[in-house]
Amino acid sequence: MSTATSSGITAAAFEAFLAARREPKWLLERRRAAWQLFEELPMPSRKDEEWMRTDIRLFHFDRFHLPIETGATGEVQPGLLTEGVKLAGQTIAVDSWPRSARLDPKWVAQGVLFGSLDEMVSAHGALLQPHLMTKAFSARYDKFAALHAACWSGGMVLYVPKGVVIDQPLHSLTAISPRGVDFSHTLVILEEGAEATLLSETAGGEDAEPSLHCGAIELLLAPEARLRYVNLQNWGKGTWHFAHQKALVDRDASLQWTISALGSRLAKVNQHVALVGPGASTQVNGVIFTEDKQHLCYNTHQHHVAPHCQSDLLYKGALQDHSRLVWRGMIKVDRDAQKTNGYQRNDNLVLSDTARSDSIPGLEIEADDVRCTHGSTAGRVDDEQIFYARCRGLTRNEAVRMIVAGFFQQVFDRITIESVREALGHAIGRRIREYD
Amino acid sequence: MSDYLRVIKAAEIPSPGKQLVEVGDRLVALFHVDDQFYALDDVCTHDGGPLAEGELDAGHCTIACPRHGAKFDIRTGAALTMPATQATMSHSVKVEAGWVYVRLAD
Repeated sequence: MSTATSSGITAAAFEAFLAARREPKWLLERRRAAWQLFEELPMPSRKDEEWMRTDIRLFHFDRFHLPIETGATGEVQPGLLTEGVKLAGQTIAVDSWPRSARLDPKWVAQGVLFGSLDEMVSAHGALLQPHLMTKAFSARYDKFAALHAACWSGGMVLYVPKGVVIDQPLHSLTAISPRGVDFSHTLVILEEGAEATLLSETAGGEDAEPSLHCGAIELLLAPEARLRYVNLQNWGKGTWHFAHQKALVDRDASLQWTISALGSRLAKVNQHVALVGPGASTQVNGVIFTEDKQHLCYNTHQHHVAPHCQSDLLYKGALQDHSRLVWRGMIKVDRDAQKTNGYQRNDNLVLSDTARSDSIPGLEIEADDVRCTHGSTAGRVDDEQIFYARCRGLTRNEAVRMIVAGFFQQVFDRITIESVREALGHAIGRRIREYD
Repeated sequence: MSDYLRVIKAAEIPSPGKQLVEVGDRLVALFHVDDQFYALDDVCTHDGGPLAEGELDAGHCTIACPRHGAKFDIRTGAALTMPATQATMSHSVKVEAGWVYVRLAD
């Protein structure tokens, strides 16, 4: 077990990080190339459109460290998404180090891989090497992507062979301890005709201590694969959350991707779905609730590369206190992506005078036979609805809670996993303040 | 209300002048005009622009956001011109023994 204690994200700390890992040569070479990129790339500037509304001047690399094995054995709080759910497998990681992994033997026998990416990349390098950060994720995207590519640790891999249909959900829980870091990388590979449901969540409790998540997600769906993926971000309120998430959906494959964001101090997330084979489809759902001084920024990208594809995105957010939510959405349709059907919508409910939402939908269309629409709304709780509810004996607080629940119902109706709907509904209900 | 936090030596900011400083978990624009110090959140209420990078008009005690030109009163944070319509947060400042202290408003 390593006891390295290098502080700061520095070249010396990176060398100590590498020395402690004992990884194959190809991986070390990739890490070193990415570290060089990290050192070369500038910090994102607020003059860049993507970062204009997200201020990270208070974020300092020298106040965090690279993921090192701490030997921490503290209890991990249970996740929210799995109550009453029979799981096919589960992974747990703390501070970017695997704590446990299990997979039902019947799926092991069918060739399914599910566990820590750290461990899998050594045991199944030949299988994973062609996919890991080569197709979906790009270290060149920005400084945080380069840092992640150089220093990812822990994480999770799910590989489902051709034609295998996993009929029970898999679950992944990732936690950060106070002043900890998480550089986890999620890699999901579904071969042709494979199907799976993956529930992934992060946990940081009520902790407001600073911590850092610099992570990435890659979802690779071969033709006719089906994936339901739920990703709940529930870090503590001191966490800086930087994430690059991308899915590649091939011919006639289908991805339902639900994200929920409740935690973190500041989140900057790029969520990208590329429909790369004819007939591919995706449904993207977003459930976001912000409070206190949280700042959450989501950049979504629906990229239609191939013809006859469909994408449907619905993000709904509610804000209270001094929080801020930024959503920038883009539907990009390539020249060859004829017969595209693309939709994006973002609705925000602003619960206090001092909260603020920025909602910026966008279309970039190069094909000439497509249907692409987008919409965005932001508003306060309607006083007439409050009045209507109070006339029927509800208090103002009860009325507000009911209206917020109704606001999210549209997106909950699209989420086909009951435990997820209930968990998100309860989590949001607990957060709503008493409004007089 | 939080306590006063020591931020910077008064001599490090010329008069007239401005300086971006970290106070607790906030970024604050400090202004020095006619021997008086003022502190505002470094946030334009129009679209979040960095006020400390704007143009200081010491004669009128205003700062202009570098993005769209909205002006704020550095003494109170009041929004004076479009496109900003809401005040930015103003913080208490005192100078003791050559140091500037800021007390965050919330």
